[in-house]
Amino acid sequence: MRKTAALLEKRQISSEELVKQYLTRIEEADPQINAFITCSGEEALAQARDADRRRARGEALSPWDGIPIAVKDNISTMGLRTTCASKFLAEYVPVFDAAVVENVRKAGLPILGKTNLDEFAMGSSSEYSAFGVTKNPHDLERVAGGSSGGSAAAVAAGEAPWALGTDTGGSIRQPAAFCGVVGLKPTYGRVSRYGVVALAPSLDQVGPLATCVEDAAILFSLLAGPDRRDAISSQSRPFSLPEWDLDSVRGLRVGVPKEFFGSGLNPEVEQAVNACLGELERLGAQLQSISLYTNEYAIETYLTIVTAEASSCLARFDGVRYGRRVEAADSNTMFAKSRAAGFGPEVKRRIMLGTYVLSAKQYKLFYEQAQRVRALIQQDVAQALKQVDLIVTPTTPNTAFKIGEKRNPLEMYLSDLYTALANLSGIPALSLPCGRDSRGLPIGIQFMGRHFEEELLFQAAYAVEQTQRRGEDA
Amino acid sequence: MIDRQEIMRIARLARLELTEEEIEQHRRDLNQFLASCAKLQEVEVGDTTVGYTIPAATQTLREDELTPSLPQAEVLAGGPCVEGGFFRVPRIVEEGE
Repeated sequence: MRKTAALLEKRQISSEELVKQYLTRIEEADPQINAFITCSGEEALAQARDADRRRARGEALSPWDGIPIAVKDNISTMGLRTTCASKFLAEYVPVFDAAVVENVRKAGLPILGKTNLDEFAMGSSSEYSAFGVTKNPHDLERVAGGSSGGSAAAVAAGEAPWALGTDTGGSIRQPAAFCGVVGLKPTYGRVSRYGVVALAPSLDQVGPLATCVEDAAILFSLLAGPDRRDAISSQSRPFSLPEWDLDSVRGLRVGVPKEFFGSGLNPEVEQAVNACLGELERLGAQLQSISLYTNEYAIETYLTIVTAEASSCLARFDGVRYGRRVEAADSNTMFAKSRAAGFGPEVKRRIMLGTYVLSAKQYKLFYEQAQRVRALIQQDVAQALKQVDLIVTPTTPNTAFKIGEKRNPLEMYLSDLYTALANLSGIPALSLPCGRDSRGLPIGIQFMGRHFEEELLFQAAYAVEQTQRRGEDA
Repeated sequence: MIDRQEIMRIARLARLELTEEEIEQHRRDLNQFLASCAKLQEVEVGDTTVGYTIPAATQTLREDELTPSLPQAEVLAGGPCVEGGFFRVPRIVEEGE
């Protein structure tokens, strides 16, 4: 992005030209890929012309003024349809911007459009979208991952230089891994969720997707910061871009948890991750085998909590204040009919599971027990991060699967096997592309660190990225 | 095992109208889900306290200040049935109550 920013600064390219290039690419590629639900080309061009005028006056809002972005469609954009990939909100136009959208607008970034996702971010393949599946740009018969599949595919296909996603159990990192781009789930509390349609408020975070580590860090620097409109937003530690120095990993203690390298891990993924670990060691990091025994319970704990919170959050979709309504003689029937008509099968499934685990008789047995296990998971992760500075694992057990391949919901839920832990414990986690399998599909490596230590994740990922690039050039 | 009646009870709580086919589907899904969650019951949690601990830095207090709210007309414009500045809903109080 630095190169693009320099070209804009020297006026060798205009923002209008840049936005036109991306819109042309969207026109060419998106009929196959389906990364976008809504393309806001006209508005983006108008915003680009504003950016060009600011540059001409020497009043650029930031170095990135005029570089466009794509936004996941569960993030509110004032005046621009925000569907959450649900029939329920097919015509919903927000009257305010999400905090992260305010932030990117303040930096001058034109918005290219809204990207596809699993309905209300519930899923790991973008197949549960009411607007059709997003296809993987590396193989159109395969999924782009999810739920931020549209954002990851748009960046991978060159339809957008970077994008915003949301991550509740892996929804930024898993599609980033499947599409071969960089994705960060920030520390819980570091980025405001104001204006983001909630899935599970104790887990949700907003984060960047980009083609390289430095771009992800730049976008993250625009997003991070306090916001009083999000009750858990952190007041401390502004994020500034780190030193990009390969030496920064020298002496770092890197934990490799054995539980993430067991059965179920694709050998090609394991090999690629091990090769990256070797690179880190050559750069001077100290690898240590560690244990995160609680990961065995992560998926079930995650599912119990995410369905419970989702069933509560989605109570607001009642056919009264926004979205669809099916008329009926009494209110309860109207709610039940509107929700039946508006929600897709996966959303209904999670509402039912969540309502069950929260119901008076089952609460203690399921929800409360899951909360206790979650506390154990947090202790386990905190303990590990006392021994080491970083934890490195594969992002996903496998590369992108075929569209329609996973028919059983439980099988789909296992896609988050390596990613849910970071949401349950609130720590930051980044996925970096690390090679490809024999089919040419991208593989992702995950870096996890202590709360508010995103800087270290970026530095370590940058070091691995640079050694990979040198390998490619040689 | 969760039966059909239990599914209908949960659906009422969730304000979700289900077709016959969906009732059967949810019965299967919920039973499968509960079977997979059984292993959580076996975890020794000891005296672990319930309650999610968020990073300390996020716990702050602030002054309660008045700020403008969203314009009423714009907010109402998103509603499926609006009348005289209100969201209109079916009758909720029966006559004589």
